[in-house]
Amino acid sequence: MNASFLGYPRENGTFGVRNDVAVISIMDNCNPVTRAIADAVHGTLPVTTLFVRGQYGHDLEVTLESLAGMGRNPNIAGVVLVGLEPHTTEEVARRIRPSGKPVESVTLQPGGTIHAIAEGTRLALRLATRASSIRRQPCPMSALTVGVECGGSDTTSGLTCNPVIGRMADRLIDDGGTVIISETSEFFGAEHLFAERAADPAVGRAFTEMVLRLEREALSRGMDIRGTNPTPDNIRGGLSTIEEKALGAMAKAGTRPLRGVLTYGQAPTAPGLHFMDAPAPAVENLTAFAAAGCQLIFFGTGVGNPIGNMVAPTVKVSGNVNTLRTMPENIDFDASAILERGARVSELGDRLFDYAIEVASGTRTSSELLDVRETAISRFSPTI
Amino acid sequence: MPRAIVLDRRDNVATLIDPGSAGERCTLQGEAEGDPALAHDVPFGHKVCVRPAAAGEAIVKYGQVIGHASRPIAVGEHVHVHNVESARGRGDRNRN
Repeated sequence: MNASFLGYPRENGTFGVRNDVAVISIMDNCNPVTRAIADAVHGTLPVTTLFVRGQYGHDLEVTLESLAGMGRNPNIAGVVLVGLEPHTTEEVARRIRPSGKPVESVTLQPGGTIHAIAEGTRLALRLATRASSIRRQPCPMSALTVGVECGGSDTTSGLTCNPVIGRMADRLIDDGGTVIISETSEFFGAEHLFAERAADPAVGRAFTEMVLRLEREALSRGMDIRGTNPTPDNIRGGLSTIEEKALGAMAKAGTRPLRGVLTYGQAPTAPGLHFMDAPAPAVENLTAFAAAGCQLIFFGTGVGNPIGNMVAPTVKVSGNVNTLRTMPENIDFDASAILERGARVSELGDRLFDYAIEVASGTRTSSELLDVRETAISRFSPTI
Repeated sequence: MPRAIVLDRRDNVATLIDPGSAGERCTLQGEAEGDPALAHDVPFGHKVCVRPAAAGEAIVKYGQVIGHASRPIAVGEHVHVHNVESARGRGDRNRN
């Protein structure tokens, strides 16, 4: 029997693993109103942002598309956009509407913040009421797109949590699902092995070029990336070089062929394994996954990084027995049996696949329940 | 005895999966056998040299090069940022 999960049907044939109304800031100056609306209505999520005012060109395009992508994410039942002025607000609204879900907008001009909070609260209430009438139904695993991430890595990451996530990724791809790995700098020293897995040589070349372009940028600035990546906590955890970190990080992509490459926040158009060219730090990388339509994220951690994404529930996996002892509340899945009791990666990976079905069907993650969640869209050029 | 994992037969380092103290022997598991004595205290998750490396020689883990020895490293020594140099993202080497 094929595996399935219980998901929320959306207008465009996709399925959500959650059913929230997103209250989305169009600019940083809207965040206080966004938070006030989300605080007032149960069943809503505040998706705040920084900057946008003064961004232009490619940098603005990535930001608007990422905001819209989070609105289009299947986990979101309806959207209330909070803007300063109507023009930019409509620019995001028109990008979400093709998904078929309800999209409403409020602006701070001309009525002011009290008016915008009142109007936004009424709209959010209406959309949350509507969302609450949608019921979960059985869905094939092929309806899932998941992001695989690692953060607060140490030498246990490449031996435990990352290969366990990789086994889960293989199982999901074998069931017709989609997996995205990212964090471009964390392929320095492992890119030759990953490029070999490309189904089409052109995809392999595109992937390698994305990695080398980022390295050329660091070189052109005359900078030594040591201390930034690997980070001080990676080094404390025993990782000596970016090459060592990359070889362990790659394990979370499993073993299946690389099917395609994506830009920041870009949604895949076919199933299978994809690489997304996006910065490694967790918050901006998880945001890119949510913008690309990932309904779930699997996050391997060694010394411990608790942060999760607002739109895509984030499952924390650790195989470091010390971290599981010191911050157990922040870890959802314990992979320490590999080093402590000689358990097989495949056995734990299969258990993680079963847990993925549970979380997709409604079991809550730690970062959701503790509200340890943040949003940040990467910047690609300075504001003017 | 603390345990240390060797991931590939080509590796010249093992990863300690228990904390180790100076003078203590560690038990190699995985792709190598032996019980080298630790030259110093080595924390959980850190690496220990299992085959001597000359200055400039590749440090190998997962059967892949993870950096180069910045000075000679003897069996039992802690292998980390003090004696291994990354070759990647080193814009500092471009400066005049």
